[in-house]
Amino acid sequence: MSRRRPSLTFEWGRAGHRTLYDGAVPGRTDLVASLRRRDAAALRTVVDENARRLYRAARGMGFSSDRAEDLMQDVFVTFLHTLDRFEGRSEISTWLFGILHHKVQEQRRAAVRDDMSDPIDESFEARFDATGNWIRPPVAPDRLAASAQMTEALRGCLDDLPSLQREVFHLRQIEELPAADVSDVLGRSVTHVGVLFHRARLRLQQCLEKKGWSPAP
Amino acid sequence: MMTCKQVSTLLSHGDLASASWSRRLGVRLHLLMCDKCSAFKAGLEAMGTWGRALSRTAEQEAPKDLEARALRRIERSES
Repeated sequence: MSRRRPSLTFEWGRAGHRTLYDGAVPGRTDLVASLRRRDAAALRTVVDENARRLYRAARGMGFSSDRAEDLMQDVFVTFLHTLDRFEGRSEISTWLFGILHHKVQEQRRAAVRDDMSDPIDESFEARFDATGNWIRPPVAPDRLAASAQMTEALRGCLDDLPSLQREVFHLRQIEELPAADVSDVLGRSVTHVGVLFHRARLRLQQCLEKKGWSPAP
Repeated sequence: MMTCKQVSTLLSHGDLASASWSRRLGVRLHLLMCDKCSAFKAGLEAMGTWGRALSRTAEQEAPKDLEARALRRIERSES
């Protein structure tokens, strides 16, 4: 089981600095300065901290193992080439996820569907009466269902999600990034991120219900 | 009293922590009394569990030397 490492959190504007881990890592300002000088230790720190998260995110967005690794490496290369634009208002990991987001969009070469309205909204609305009570209530997942089976079912359902919803699902649900960070990554408002997350989860729930995640009535 | 629609919408937006204290309390009280919304919440939690399992599986497919390979690629791009 993977263990979440501490994120690269810096304290801009304060005297002194906070170390990341191992006690050998320079503070934020120093780290960015070191990266600009292409300091090998600083670079290794950033790669060690983020490579697997980026790889995992690319896989979560539907890319094969090879493509996910390529994308992850491209993110670091772009990061170094655009380091002068990094103002340090966000964490390095958030900046990296932002680069990944743009690369994913480029890869797909299609405008990411970002409709103001989505048929899933109507489908959700139709499950309630005028007073807001359930007409078609959800069914609790079968706690006895084999996890491997449901994980596989979820994989299929994720493939059917619009790409932006899939990204938000991964960043919010799997990486557990705060909505504000995902808002920075995607360049969308926190409210919009909430709507995308809501739609993603409704779609997945609908898909999983169809695949029989509940016990037979 | 909050409606099922309000509660399930708040839950699925995933940002209950930033809601007001009274909204959070309203959701908790509602969930104590409503099996349907509790089932909805259980569904959201199950998706998280399965999603993380899926992600771990994908991560296990990563090369052991993923970081070293990334560093070599960066080195090549810099030279």
